[in-house]
Amino acid sequence: IALTGTPGDCQPCPCPDYTSCAQIAQTGQVVCTNCPAGQTGMRCQMCEDGYYGDPLGQYGSARPCVRCECNGNVDFNAVGVCDRASGRCLKCVGHTEGEHCQRCRRGFYGDALQQTAGQKCKPCSCNPAGTSGHVNECHPQTGNCQCLSHVTGRDCSYCEVGFFDLQPGLGCERCKCNPIGSSS
Amino acid sequence: PRPDVHPIAPGTHLLFAQSGKIEHIPLDGYNMKTEEAKPLLHIPDRVVIAVAYDCVEKMVYWTDITGPAISRASMSGGDINPVITTDLQSPEGIAIDHVARLLFWTDSMRDTVEVSKLDGSQRRVLFDTDLINPRPIVTNPAYGRLYWADWNRDGPKIEMSNMDGTDRTVLVKDDLGLPNGLTFDLDNQQLCWADAGTRKVECMDPHRRLRRQIVEGIHYPFGLVSFGRNLYYTDWRREAVIAVDRQSEKETDEFLPQKRSRLYGITTTPTQCPQGTDQFESQ
Repeated sequence: IALTGTPGDCQPCPCPDYTSCAQIAQTGQVVCTNCPAGQTGMRCQMCEDGYYGDPLGQYGSARPCVRCECNGNVDFNAVGVCDRASGRCLKCVGHTEGEHCQRCRRGFYGDALQQTAGQKCKPCSCNPAGTSGHVNECHPQTGNCQCLSHVTGRDCSYCEVGFFDLQPGLGCERCKCNPIGSSS
Repeated sequence: PRPDVHPIAPGTHLLFAQSGKIEHIPLDGYNMKTEEAKPLLHIPDRVVIAVAYDCVEKMVYWTDITGPAISRASMSGGDINPVITTDLQSPEGIAIDHVARLLFWTDSMRDTVEVSKLDGSQRRVLFDTDLINPRPIVTNPAYGRLYWADWNRDGPKIEMSNMDGTDRTVLVKDDLGLPNGLTFDLDNQQLCWADAGTRKVECMDPHRRLRRQIVEGIHYPFGLVSFGRNLYYTDWRREAVIAVDRQSEKETDEFLPQKRSRLYGITTTPTQCPQGTDQFESQ
């Protein structure tokens, strides 16, 4: 073909890194067939499943395709774990949530970013008798529930020192000890 | 015809999904004619997961998780037609009953097994309980049975039911990890699965519940299909299609696409619909 052709007959593939392309006979449409790792699409303009970015800079400055960043809070056997353009994590597990599964879901507390195995986000499980709030409302990091007056403990399950008799919805009562006969 | 559908030659082929396209490998007997592998469909903006084939109308059906959608196209070239486009979140398994003309699928975010006619009409949720990560689904039209697997980390299982949703039963729950692939071998009436957790391919006679290991120590299987004496699976780590002879229990061949990326669902396109429906109906 090259012997009878003209210099314009063979065009370079419109694909990154000189990768290959193919022309669909019926329409002349050109499709990149061997996009760089992590890239896909007609012109390798998108990221593959499990990656995100904007490799050709279609929506701003170019961002290479990188693996979904979900803080280890997605399952590696899952598909479609993040949005291929924005990187927003779509399948957070272990009671986590957020763009990158970076925080515990409502009703849970702990450190979603903790690297070690085990339960990163634990249920609030506030004691229904000692909390003035909801049983699943607690501080997202410490897990402290909102306790009734003179009730203490992370989950509001016991009385402060000097108080006794935790009554649901009321709290604890001051000890009525005779100062003369008490050691504290 | 739509330009991104490449008509393919008659004969049996393997179809598999890889990064926005469905590729086909012609089969010569049970051998993959790897040098003739070509794309059948380009859907570059979608992530195709599961594929199924209707031997009656010679149509390929697939799920994509980006639409999300279930679509179909004729093998002889033609438009891509959406079948289901609403109330889908993560459709990761698809199966066809070519006799009853039904489409079944799983959704791992809706946590459902669903059914409709092949054109998407008369849609119905078959199951929405006790499902965490349902993925592969297959039919046995001869017995009117449906099989699916759930890779729930806290209790993976393979289940079956009748196609109308009655008689739901757990078939396998021991020694399972991540059962990503499932296929029904009509010739031997065996249900086979590929497990990325135990790294095995195993088969079972669902009636007598006799279980047999085919291969072990494999890498990361995703899709699985049975054809004659072979099983073919896609592998995420090897980024390949691997053929396994079920009698010798050995890997016999592999196909590495030029493009290196994960491979998903796999199916076959037999030239004729599987026979045997009549002979099993009386049993």
